[in-house]
Amino acid sequence: MDGSLRAIECDPTTVFRAPKTARQSQTDILTLADEDLMTLVQDGAAHAFEVLFDRHADVAFSLAYRMCGRRSMAEDVVQDAFLSLWRSGASYDRARGSVRSWVLSVVHNRAIDAFRREAVRTSRDVRDEHVAEHVAASEQTETEVERRDEARHVRSALGELPADQRQVIELAFFGGFTHTQIAEMLKLPAGTVKGRMRLGLTKMRGALGGDPARAVL
Amino acid sequence: MSTRDRSADPRGCGDDVAAYALGALDPAEAEAFRAHLKTCAACREELAAFKTVVDVLPMGAPQHRAPRRLRRRVMSAVEHDVRERGGQPERRRRPALGRLVSRPVLAVGALVVAAAIAVGVIVIGNSGSSTRVFDAKVIGERGSAKVAVTDGRAQLIVRDFSPPPAGKIYEVWLSRKGQNPTPTGALFSVTSSGDSDVDVGKVHGADAVLVTPEPKGGTSAPTHTPVIDAPLR
Repeated sequence: MDGSLRAIECDPTTVFRAPKTARQSQTDILTLADEDLMTLVQDGAAHAFEVLFDRHADVAFSLAYRMCGRRSMAEDVVQDAFLSLWRSGASYDRARGSVRSWVLSVVHNRAIDAFRREAVRTSRDVRDEHVAEHVAASEQTETEVERRDEARHVRSALGELPADQRQVIELAFFGGFTHTQIAEMLKLPAGTVKGRMRLGLTKMRGALGGDPARAVL
Repeated sequence: MSTRDRSADPRGCGDDVAAYALGALDPAEAEAFRAHLKTCAACREELAAFKTVVDVLPMGAPQHRAPRRLRRRVMSAVEHDVRERGGQPERRRRPALGRLVSRPVLAVGALVVAAAIAVGVIVIGNSGSSTRVFDAKVIGERGSAKVAVTDGRAQLIVRDFSPPPAGKIYEVWLSRKGQNPTPTGALFSVTSSGDSDVDVGKVHGADAVLVTPEPKGGTSAPTHTPVIDAPLR
């Protein structure tokens, strides 16, 4: 596996050392929360960035691959996004959300930019998963198992939506289409598309443990 | 938001909040909805609720292992950055930059030239490496922009900025004295909150970083006047 502990201890090409100011052992680094790692990244600590990469690269790649439908394009998007984060780590503001949400929002945005740049909007079908490396259960750490459970939970919540609501949410989020474009594609009034988005997100909020009653219908 | 949507909703706010959370409003609608959010607590609350869902939507994609070569490529570039900075493990200290790019107070009523008169250059750094931060003029749009240059490489940091017009994307250019602007290859849009961090690349010899709205896919020469002008002096 590509686990961060193994990578740091065994990879002879790893030349990064903990900054003297941090004085964190490698084991300590691996136990730090993402937000604390970001503080080190803002100080230029490549090893802290490496740990963050290992924690979030799988979900970032999965998102990019789902959006792009092409493995090479997804890799370019993720590489571009992570290097942007490395080079502008100081723009992370913990008050605005978790590191993972920040990473994924950058990946999401970069993927949409990539569509627009390359105009690859018709061949994005990720059912050809034979080319991808699914996460094998035997390779998972405890943390990865938790994340896999979370992923299953989210997919379940999405899958339980009525098809028309799931469709507009997926087209908007994974496809990067506006509600106007979706309305044209599906030959529906724009208001209907937006209404389905709202109903779908409200149901998902309830399914994921939020309080659907607070999301006013 | 449309009258139709408003009439269909007992709160009178329509269904724009979900589309906005998903980044699916058209640019003009997104801007109108952001203005609406300032005065509508109900929509702000609902948006916060929807954001918790949108934040986990990436997990709804089939999960794959990131390729090993991707890790090697990324860490190789990081290692290269570290070496370019003289092998210093501490690249730079940038906590101050985080404060610099916090959300601005929007200028009310600014129509033609908004925000950010360049007030100087801020240098952040240690260990022989430094980051120079340049304020940018934001022209005819709301929001703010800065350019951070580290070891000759620039990052454009945009906050609360308007999305590009329908059918357009923002393109980044380098301006050099006596020459036409040259494309950097960087194209970007902004998040639903108007943010973007754009790797501009090397800016050696450039006098300014410019941004123009251009047709999707970009162009080889600007077709629009700059909406962001960041002098690198």
